Amino acid sequence: MIGKLLTSDFLKIKRKGLWFLTALGPIGVVALQMVNYGVRKDYLLEQSEDDWGYYLLNVHSFTPLAIVLGIAILTSFMASIENETNAWKQLIALPVSKLTVYLSKFTVLAILLFLSSTLLMLVTMAYGVFLDLGDSIPIGEIAKFSYYPYFAALPILALQLWIASVCHNQGIPITVGIFGVIFAYLSYFLPDWMIWKWPSLMNQWDEPIINVMLGIGIGIVLYIIGTIDFARRDVK
Amino acid sequence: MGSILSAEWFKLRKSKMVPLILAGPIIGLFIGLASNTMNGLIGSEINEWYVSLISMNLTYALLFLPLISGVFASVICRYEHQSGGWKQLLALPVTRGKVFVAKYLLIMLLVLAMQVLYLCSIYAVGLIKGYTDPFPMEIVWKSIFGGWVATLPLVALQLWTSVMFKSFAAPFAVNVIFTLPSILAVNSKRFGPYYPWGQPFLMMNVGGDTGEVFFVPWDQLLTVVGGGFLLFFLGGYLYFQRKAV
Repeated sequence: MIGKLLTSDFLKIKRKGLWFLTALGPIGVVALQMVNYGVRKDYLLEQSEDDWGYYLLNVHSFTPLAIVLGIAILTSFMASIENETNAWKQLIALPVSKLTVYLSKFTVLAILLFLSSTLLMLVTMAYGVFLDLGDSIPIGEIAKFSYYPYFAALPILALQLWIASVCHNQGIPITVGIFGVIFAYLSYFLPDWMIWKWPSLMNQWDEPIINVMLGIGIGIVLYIIGTIDFARRDVK
Repeated sequence: MGSILSAEWFKLRKSKMVPLILAGPIIGLFIGLASNTMNGLIGSEINEWYVSLISMNLTYALLFLPLISGVFASVICRYEHQSGGWKQLLALPVTRGKVFVAKYLLIMLLVLAMQVLYLCSIYAVGLIKGYTDPFPMEIVWKSIFGGWVATLPLVALQLWTSVMFKSFAAPFAVNVIFTLPSILAVNSKRFGPYYPWGQPFLMMNVGGDTGEVFFVPWDQLLTVVGGGFLLFFLGGYLYFQRKAV
């Protein structure tokens, strides 16, 4: 059942711009560094001995913002596909359970974001090589800066999908997303328990892996709360 | 024109607009109380209010103001996008141009209301932190009003995209694509002054030249903000004239 739902959800997002945005996110994040390095490469290379590390930090300064906003946009798009034509009713009328409908939406979004993170890794590496930052390419670090924020952002994905699928007025999830990006921008000042801080990979122990673990754990909890609430609500 | 405005106003009252406008001062309070970076400045000769103002205005004007003004534009068009509202509205004896202008005016009014509430939150942050220096009223007004003027072109583009797309996410995506680069753009002396989405920050940044009416020179204001406004407003206006409903 879930396989067929996934196929139908992937069909529904065709030509709606979701694939375009999935690709644009990581390319945009690296493109900003292309501008940054294009304008003042010599200055930036002087800032640190470890050119690759400094370049990755620069890229990573935009990754959390792009992820938080990207999640808000994709979840809201996903919900609008059903909202706009009142298709929730028709979808739920099919012989599928509401829990699987929700699971399928979440899975599609998780796959899109995962592909986005993979693309981020490839583009980051490609531009780094182009910049000629040094012979030893730190593949492990690049992968870390690409995939860790993704796992740390899973709670945000669960929360935003929950809000977007139960609110009829999509202004609410978008506004929550704007609050999220402000939190992500100020993550340096936030306490460790706030989920919007986690994609920045900062915490008081200075161990990014903790954010990944927390992200997966709390992400599952928020997903379960969201799916139960979604299943209990009436479809209007 | 008056009746269109009041009709828009009635629709707005049922659109859960109040929580959206309150988002501005809430985020202002949050930023003001959360960030204590510039504490190093306290004790120097700078007016204490500036310490809060600089850090609050940075985040507020750089990210929050451009993004939320796009949401206002989408909310204004929400009723029309639901179940053929455009048809019903345009079947009335109104011209499309007037509808567009009325919607635009109302969004700008909402942004202004939010800016004034944000001013209150600046004051509240000062009271909570117990500032004793005189409140720099003139500077703050300049920044509040300047930020409002800088959103003129942004709101015009957002109204255009909101009329075009049915979903909230699409205009928001356009908004995000243009707003995020302004974090880099405002750092650049060469490109910053020409980037429309960086203008709210440049207009609200209290560190600027205080001799002028605003914190940015007149020619920059006229070319970038004024030119951007004309381009986006006329684009949206003409698009709406031809839009099939």
